[in-house]
Amino acid sequence: MHTLRLLSAFFKVNLQMTLAYRVDTAVNLLLEILTLAWELLSLEIIFSNTTTLGGWNLGELLTLLGVFHLVNALMNILVWPSTDAFNTAVRDGTFDYTLLQPADSMFLVTFSRMVIWRVWDLVLGAVLIVIGFHMSNLNATLPHLLSFLLLAATGSLILYSLWIVLIAATFWFTKFDNNVTILQALLDTGRYPSTIYPFWLRIIITFLIPIAVATTVPVQALRGELTFTQVLIFFGVSAASFLVASRVWKAGVKKYSGASS
Amino acid sequence: MFKIYQRFWQVTWAEQWQYRANLLMYLLYWLVSPIVYLAIWVTIAHAQGSVSGLTANDFITYYLTLLVVDQFTSEITIHILAYKIQDGTLSGDLLRPVHPILTGALVNNIASKVLNLLAFIPIWILLFLLFRPDYSSVTSGSILLAVPGVLTGFVLDFLLGAIITCMAFWTTRVYSISQFSNLVVILLSGQFVPLQLMPPVVQQVAGYLPFQMFTFVPVEVALNRLPMAALLRDYAAGLLWLVILYILFRWIWREGVKRFSSVGA
Amino acid sequence: MTDTIQVDHLTKTYQVSEREGGFGAAVRGFFHRKFRDVHAVQQVSFKIEAGEVVGFLGPNGAGKTTTLKMLSGLLHPTSGKARVLGFTPWERKPLFLQSMTLVMGQRSRLSWDIPAADSFLLNQAIYRIPDTDFQRTLKELDQLLELTPILKKPVRNLSLGERMKVELAAGLLHRPKVLFLDEPTIGLDITAQVRIRDFLREYNHRTGATILLTSHYMADVTALCERIIIIHHGLLKYDGSIVDLSRRIAPFKLIGVALGDPCPCDLSRYGTPVAAGRDEEGDGYKQYVQVKASEVAAITARMLAELPIHDLTIEDPPIESVIERAFQE
Repeated sequence: MHTLRLLSAFFKVNLQMTLAYRVDTAVNLLLEILTLAWELLSLEIIFSNTTTLGGWNLGELLTLLGVFHLVNALMNILVWPSTDAFNTAVRDGTFDYTLLQPADSMFLVTFSRMVIWRVWDLVLGAVLIVIGFHMSNLNATLPHLLSFLLLAATGSLILYSLWIVLIAATFWFTKFDNNVTILQALLDTGRYPSTIYPFWLRIIITFLIPIAVATTVPVQALRGELTFTQVLIFFGVSAASFLVASRVWKAGVKKYSGASS
Repeated sequence: MFKIYQRFWQVTWAEQWQYRANLLMYLLYWLVSPIVYLAIWVTIAHAQGSVSGLTANDFITYYLTLLVVDQFTSEITIHILAYKIQDGTLSGDLLRPVHPILTGALVNNIASKVLNLLAFIPIWILLFLLFRPDYSSVTSGSILLAVPGVLTGFVLDFLLGAIITCMAFWTTRVYSISQFSNLVVILLSGQFVPLQLMPPVVQQVAGYLPFQMFTFVPVEVALNRLPMAALLRDYAAGLLWLVILYILFRWIWREGVKRFSSVGA
Repeated sequence: MTDTIQVDHLTKTYQVSEREGGFGAAVRGFFHRKFRDVHAVQQVSFKIEAGEVVGFLGPNGAGKTTTLKMLSGLLHPTSGKARVLGFTPWERKPLFLQSMTLVMGQRSRLSWDIPAADSFLLNQAIYRIPDTDFQRTLKELDQLLELTPILKKPVRNLSLGERMKVELAAGLLHRPKVLFLDEPTIGLDITAQVRIRDFLREYNHRTGATILLTSHYMADVTALCERIIIIHHGLLKYDGSIVDLSRRIAPFKLIGVALGDPCPCDLSRYGTPVAAGRDEEGDGYKQYVQVKASEVAAITARMLAELPIHDLTIEDPPIESVIERAFQE
């Protein structure tokens, strides 16, 4: 399929850029490992003072950390680099070239810039999930596992849709350089279960900047806390958010091209 | 002499004012982590009654006070100067009769703080209303005693940030070094959790390092939780570190500028 | 045969918010924004047949780039119609996008850190060019532009001239039938400019592609185009052959002299004095007279004999004055 061909072309080009900067990659990997050590150390400090955090045990927290790393990987591989590329392109006018290409502009803006070496975060996330799940002593049934996987995917889709809307805002508010800062700022809340946060923060990260939907909710499914209806609702919201985001993007491009309506 | 500072202040303030739009965003960024940590320990304290003798309210007062102290002791020198070292424009600053770090970056930091305070104060009041801390342990005396701690903490943090920024004279990885340093500092300064909850070994080490002056010591003094003997010892250690870091900074700066000037832009 | 490009009363008007300086105006501006119309393109109409190479001339801000953006589909017009290869450009149908190209001299479409060859492969994927066609086109472009030595270098390391070559090549990999070129030679040195012009001429002969290029270098246009369209203040001022245009405006030159001894002298007996000024390099004070091209030699000889001249130059008048002059009558 053409989309796959295009994706692999982007992948190759971005991989080359990564390989061109070997030392940077090595240093970055080191920093990643140190950050992981820090994360594990902080979990250790927490669990040396208690056996559960808000009813979640260490294994469940590790699983959550793994899901967080998957989301973080999405941000680091696609979202932050593409935001920079997009802001620059709009500012210096080279975004016109994106519009001239016979491919969907939203697709191009998402995938033309990828920081490939961060794929490591995906691997790390998967490993943490497996280890955490094993440690957690959860009796997860197959439906639980399936909803976990589904909601992890759709949760990231919601965040992706939010990102599209945030950067599309630049089409209307041209000096919107900080379009994704709020997403960056709140992302760290995804490391811990949203149930421990004060009510107002929980509302913000569930309904406004739905980081909790991408991190806490899938693990809640794994813990068997969600009903089938709830899983369906989350799935539906995710699909709807993607549709809304595409609409907003199309409208933004029209605004950029000076269409009158 | 004073005139220089005054003029510098005016220019830097004008510069910072331009960035006021970003202000709220970056404040938000910086606020999130302490609130997350606060939520963690309050949750545990509520479940168990207390953690190592600290109640939920102890944690709330700790982190809310930490937000205030951090406003005063944090520094941003690397964002002001590192790029200038990397792209060579530092030469312009070196030609002026003011020290790029001890005057330039210092005034810049302070101007940025004043600006941040404008947005920070209403937000902190909002957080106060949301969390409803019980501040009865705090007295005017404890706050007064904390002031020298906060000042020392700022100078120490500033010197440390300056030393790290100087790494830019030798490597392009200065931001990675800064990131790594931040990770270490968060643990040892009490920004992640009050030092009483760290493993004993870590507490011992933290006691000998300057980082605890950035946050933990001033907060504990303000909350009236540090016995006088410990306070005096920590302040003395802080002063000692101040001398050490100052000498270290001056030496590294001199060596760095030498290297910078010989290599050219 | 239907025309490749048809433009019918194309108009683009922008609304720009107007604000005066001062604190009072700023406060007032907060509550009530005043807007001013900028007529970038006004009722422009023309037709271009397949295979033509048309120059689109005009001073900065005349409306050239805006027109080109509308014809390439980047901008929606305020009113009017346009058809390119049978498509309405701003509908941006994929088939339309695959048949045309826009190359902007001042903006790069290539990624800076990787060799051009790899950017080309990316383009191949985006434009769905089959391998055989891609190889064939690449070979042709290589022949015409001498790309082999520069394809493997990161674009960042190329000279301005080399960069323009790969930019053009990148824009032509999908063998578009219509080329829109916005200032393709800007910033290049003379050799590079000539190289690009030769290439475009050759490309047009070989492929029959229709080329519409904007420039504010007269030389670009005289070298490549038989037909030029002049646009000024958004209005179409002239559409016809170059030959006819030069017949319209009597050709003339500017003679610039730096005179010793405190002058300015009155030079009106040699030609029409034009605004004097400091010359760019020295600290002399230069005066210019405008003379008919056919009389340059004679007048120069007279001036050299009669005046204390330290420096003398003979220059082409800037394009703006040609255009102004052309439509002053």
